[in-house]
Amino acid sequence: MNRVVNYLRTTTRLGGVDPVLAAVVVALIGFGVVMVYSASVIEATVVFRDPQYFLKRQGVYAALGLVAIIVVSRIDYHKLRPLTYPVLGVVFALMVLSVIGFGHTGGGAARWLRLGPVHVQPSEAAKLALVLWLAYSLEKKRERVKSFSVGMLPHLLTAGALMMLCLKQPDFGGAVVLLFLTFTLLFVAGARLGYLLGVAMVGVGASVWLVRFTNYRWERMLAWFNMEEHRQDLAYQPFQSVMSFGSGEIWGLGLGKGLQVLYLPEAHTDFISAIIGEELGFVGVLCLAAVYLVIVARGVRIALAAQDDYGSYIAFGISVLFGCQALINMAVAMAILPTKGLTLPFISYGGSSLLVNAAAMGVLLNVSRPRLGPANSRVDDPGACPEASATLMSEAGFSAPDGDRARRVKEAVA
Amino acid sequence: MRSLDTPRGRWIRLRMGVVCGLLAFGLGIIVSSGWQLMGREGEQWRELAEKQRQRRLHVTPKRGTIYDRNGSALAVSVEAPSVSLDAVELLRGVSPQKVPVVARDAANRIAAALQLSPAEVERKILAKRRFAWLKRRITAAEAEAIRKLSSKKEAGEERVRGLVVEGEGKRYYPRRELSGPLLGFVAPDGEGKDGFELSMNRELKGHVEQLRGLRDRSGRLLFADGVQDEQVLAGHNLHLSIDQGIQYAAERELAHAARTFEAAGGSVIVVDPYTGELLAMASWPGYNPNDYGDSEPEERRTRGLTDAFEPGSTLKIFTVAAGLAAGAIEPTQKLFCEKGLMAVDNVTIRDTHPAGWLSISQVLAVSSNICSAKIGLSMGGNKLYESLLRFGFGQQTGVPLPGEASGTLRPRGRPWVQVETASASFGQGISTTNLQLAMATAAIANGGELMEPILVRKVTTATGEVVREAAPRVRRRVVSKRVAATLAEMLVAVTEGEGTGTEAALDGYQVAGKTATAQKTDPATGRYSLDRYVASFLGFVPAKKPVVAIAVMVDEPMVEIAGGAVAAPIFRNVARMALKYKGLTPQGTQRVDIASLANAPDPANAAYEVIRQQQGKKPPVQVVSASGPVGAGSVRLPDMTGWPVREAVRRSVELGVTPKVVGTGLLARQEPGPGGVVRKGASVVLVFEPAT
Repeated sequence: MNRVVNYLRTTTRLGGVDPVLAAVVVALIGFGVVMVYSASVIEATVVFRDPQYFLKRQGVYAALGLVAIIVVSRIDYHKLRPLTYPVLGVVFALMVLSVIGFGHTGGGAARWLRLGPVHVQPSEAAKLALVLWLAYSLEKKRERVKSFSVGMLPHLLTAGALMMLCLKQPDFGGAVVLLFLTFTLLFVAGARLGYLLGVAMVGVGASVWLVRFTNYRWERMLAWFNMEEHRQDLAYQPFQSVMSFGSGEIWGLGLGKGLQVLYLPEAHTDFISAIIGEELGFVGVLCLAAVYLVIVARGVRIALAAQDDYGSYIAFGISVLFGCQALINMAVAMAILPTKGLTLPFISYGGSSLLVNAAAMGVLLNVSRPRLGPANSRVDDPGACPEASATLMSEAGFSAPDGDRARRVKEAVA
Repeated sequence: MRSLDTPRGRWIRLRMGVVCGLLAFGLGIIVSSGWQLMGREGEQWRELAEKQRQRRLHVTPKRGTIYDRNGSALAVSVEAPSVSLDAVELLRGVSPQKVPVVARDAANRIAAALQLSPAEVERKILAKRRFAWLKRRITAAEAEAIRKLSSKKEAGEERVRGLVVEGEGKRYYPRRELSGPLLGFVAPDGEGKDGFELSMNRELKGHVEQLRGLRDRSGRLLFADGVQDEQVLAGHNLHLSIDQGIQYAAERELAHAARTFEAAGGSVIVVDPYTGELLAMASWPGYNPNDYGDSEPEERRTRGLTDAFEPGSTLKIFTVAAGLAAGAIEPTQKLFCEKGLMAVDNVTIRDTHPAGWLSISQVLAVSSNICSAKIGLSMGGNKLYESLLRFGFGQQTGVPLPGEASGTLRPRGRPWVQVETASASFGQGISTTNLQLAMATAAIANGGELMEPILVRKVTTATGEVVREAAPRVRRRVVSKRVAATLAEMLVAVTEGEGTGTEAALDGYQVAGKTATAQKTDPATGRYSLDRYVASFLGFVPAKKPVVAIAVMVDEPMVEIAGGAVAAPIFRNVARMALKYKGLTPQGTQRVDIASLANAPDPANAAYEVIRQQQGKKPPVQVVSASGPVGAGSVRLPDMTGWPVREAVRRSVELGVTPKVVGTGLLARQEPGPGGVVRKGASVVLVFEPAT
C-alpha cells in the first residue's frame, strides 16, 4: 500500500488542467448541493426530523468530491495502468458481496454494501473501473482489436459478468450504461462493425427476453406504455416526474418553491432533474443540458488532444460515461425511457455516485494536462518508435529525474 | 491523440464523431421533449399537479365544536387514529414470485390485528395502490397492534411495511340523543349529513382550500410559511341559542306524551319572544347521532320545520288578531255562533261546542269554528291571506337548517273562494310548520313584532375570535301593541274556567294559549281522516311580559286526540321547567324562613311539610280500606298506582266499573283507593300524572 502511495506521489507538475471543464464541474457540484437541499428538505424533515439532513451529507460528499478531483487530477493517469486489475478485482468482489446477501436494501434493490458506517454502491465504481480496464486493454491490443477472440470476446465477457452482477442486484440502468460504454469503446478502438452489430443483436435479444420474462420489469414496461392508466400504481413515479417537469413551464416556480417533492418519490436522487425542471423551468433544463454538453465536448476535445491512445480512450470513455448517464437519467425523468435507477452525475444525492464521478473527473482533468513528446507510442512496443518510447518512459516518471522532467514539461508548454 | 494524421487516427476520430453524434441526437430528443412538456403542455401539467394537491387532501382539519347557549358542548371532534396502506411500500423489494405469499401472509396478520376479512386486505395489497384506507377510526388496542406489526424493534425483519396510522377527526355527541335531529351527524368522509352538521358544514369543516399543497403523498400534514398551527385551519365553532336544560325538558315531555298516546311524531319549540332566539327545538322520534347508522331517515327529521301540517284551531289566534288589527271586529263585540251549524255555499261548518252569542274571548276559549269563519269572511279572503302572510305563514323562516318546509296558504295557487276563506279562518285547508306557529305566537307575546328566528347565536374561530354574531332582528310589526295585549288577555281565558286549554294552566302564572285538534287529510282519499289528528298547543307565559313562547305539536296521537289533553300538559311541564331555568318565581310564592326550618326538631320533615303545603298535595299515603268479603255485584279495586292509562282503563273495564280518566301519564291516585269495594257499573276516578 505504501509503495502504491509513494509511487503515485512521485508525480510532478505537468501543465494546468482544462480550466473550462474544471470550472463547470465545480459549479455543477455546487448547484447539485443546492438542488439536493431543495428536493430533500421535506423528506428530511418528515423522516429524520432535520431539514438539513441530506444537505449536510451532500455538502460533505461535495467537499470530499472536490478533494478527490484535485488529488486524482494530480496523479498522472499513466500510473493508473498497473492499478487496472486490482481496481477491477476489488469492484468485482464488492459486487459479488452485495449480490450474495451482504447488500443493504434501498429503493427496492440491494445496491448498497455496508462498510462500517458508510454504504457503498459498488456498481457506481464498476463503471469507472470498466472504462479504465477497457482503455488499458484496448490500447494494449491495438490492431488485434479487430479479431473476435482477442479483440471482442474478453471485453464482452468481463463487461458481461459485471452486467450480470448489476442485473442481479437488480440495477438495470447500471447494466445498460456498462453495455453502452463497452460498445462505444470497442467501436472507437476499431472493432469490426460486423461483430459489433452481431453482438448488439444478441444483446438486444437478451434484454428483450430479460424484460419480457421478468415480471416486474415487464409490468413496468407496460405501465410505461399506458402511463395514464397506471398513474396511481406502477407508473406513479414517471407520471409524477413528467407532471413535475411540465408544471415548471418556461421559467419554473422558483428555487425551493417546487411542490412536486411532496409526491415524487426519490426526488433528491434519481429524479432530481424533475425537480430542477419544476423549479427552474425549461430554461433551467436547457442550461443543465448545455452544461453536460460542455462537459462531454471538453472531454472529447481532451480525448482528441491526448498524448496517447490510452489517455484518449480513458478521456473518451469517461466523457461518454457522464454523457450517457445524464442523458438516460433525464430521458427517464421525462418518461422517454422506462424507469431505471440512474443518478444524474454530480447533482443527485449520494456519496458513492458523487465520489466515483469526481474521481473520474479527476482522471479526465489529468488527461487534459498538456504533455510533451510524440504521442501514439506504447511502452511495451519499443519497436514502433524507440526514441519516442524512451521519451514517454521518462515522461511518465519511470526513470528520468524529476528536475529534468519538469524542465521538459515547461518547454513543452511554452 | 497526437497521431491523428495517421489513417488509424483518422479512423478513430471518425468513430468518436459517430458516437458524439449519437449523444448529440439524444440531447436533441431531451431538449425537444423538454420543450414539448414544459413549453407547450406546461400549463396543463401545472393544472393537473395543482388538482392533485387539492384532491389528495383526504384528512380534514379539526371540525368545529357545537355548543349550546351556555357553552356546554353538544358535538365535539376527537382525534381517532385511522390506518391506511401503501401497498407499493409493503411489496417493495419482494421478488415477483414471492408476491402472492408475502401478500397473503401480510394480509392475514393485518386482518388479525384489525379484525378485518383477510381476503379483503389481500385484495387491497395486490391492487398495489400507494394509498388505500384499511380501517378508519380504530381503537387504541388496534392502533397498538398495528404499531407492533410495523415496528422494526418488535417485529424485526418480519415487520409489515407500508402501514400508516394517522389521526382523523371522529365526531362525538356527548349528550347522545339530546337534540340529535337538530345537530345531525358526520359521515366517515368528514362531510356533515344532516342538521347543523350539513347546513353549517362549510364553516364547521374548516378551511381546506388554504391547505393546498401542504400534504405529501402519504397524506401527512406539512405546514408552509404563514400557517403556524392547525388552529388556523380548524373549523369554526357554533354557539347555538338552544338551552340544553330546556331542550332536555322539551324532549323528555314530548317523548313521554308521544309514548303515552302512541303518537307517530311530534315537535316542541321554545322561543324567547323578545329576541326570537330558539331555546329548544325538540323532535320525536329522535335518534342518537353517535350511532346514526341504527336510525331511520324519518327519525332524523327536525319535525318542527320539515313537517307542514294543517294547524286547525290554533290559527284562530291569528284570524282574531287580523280581525282586530283590521278593525273588522271590536274586542268587546259579541258574535252569534249559529248554534253549532252554519252553511257556507255548499259546505256546512260545525262546532264541537254549539253556542249562541259569544264574546271574542269566548270564541277562542271554546274554539268556535263558526265564529272564526265569520271573522275571516267579514275581512274577506285577500285581507286574511295577507295578514297570515305577514305573520310569516306560507314562507320559510330561514333558519340555517336543511329541509325547511314553507307550508302553503293557497294550495290551489289562486285566491281563496268563500269556503276556503272560511276554513282557513280556523286553520283548515292551509298548512304551516310548527316553527312558523311558534314565531307567530312569539309575535303576539312580545307585543306585535315578528322576530327573525335565531338558532346560531355566534360563530367563533378555533382561537375564540368572533366571526359573526346574531343580533335580535324584527322582521316586521304584524299587529299593534294594543291588539297584542288584548289578544293575550283573551288567550288567558282559554286556560281558565271552561276553556279548552285548562291543562296548560300553571300555578302562580297566567298562561295565554290556544289548543287545536286538527283532522289530518287522508292521502289516499283526499278527505279528512276520522281517526288521525294533530293535537297542538300554542302559548306563552307569563301572559304579561312573557319569558317563553312554546309551540307543541303531536302528530297522530291514538289514545287521546284532543290538543287540550295531549299537547297542553306538555306545554305546562316544559313551561314550568323553562321558567325555573329563567329564574322566575310564581306569583303568590310564600317566602319560607330557612332559619326557622333549620331549627325545627326534624328539619327534613319540616321542609317537606312546607313544600307539600305549597304544592297543595295530599299526604302521600292513600287510605286503604280494610279487606273483607265482597258482596255479589261488587268488586274490590286493585292497587293500580303507577300503571299507564291504557292498562288501568282496561283493568277497570274488565272489573266492570266505569273509569273516569283525569290527566295523563301514570296513575297517581285512584278514588276509591286500592282495596276499596265498589258496585259494578259505578265510576272510579283515575288520576294520572306524567312520570318525572
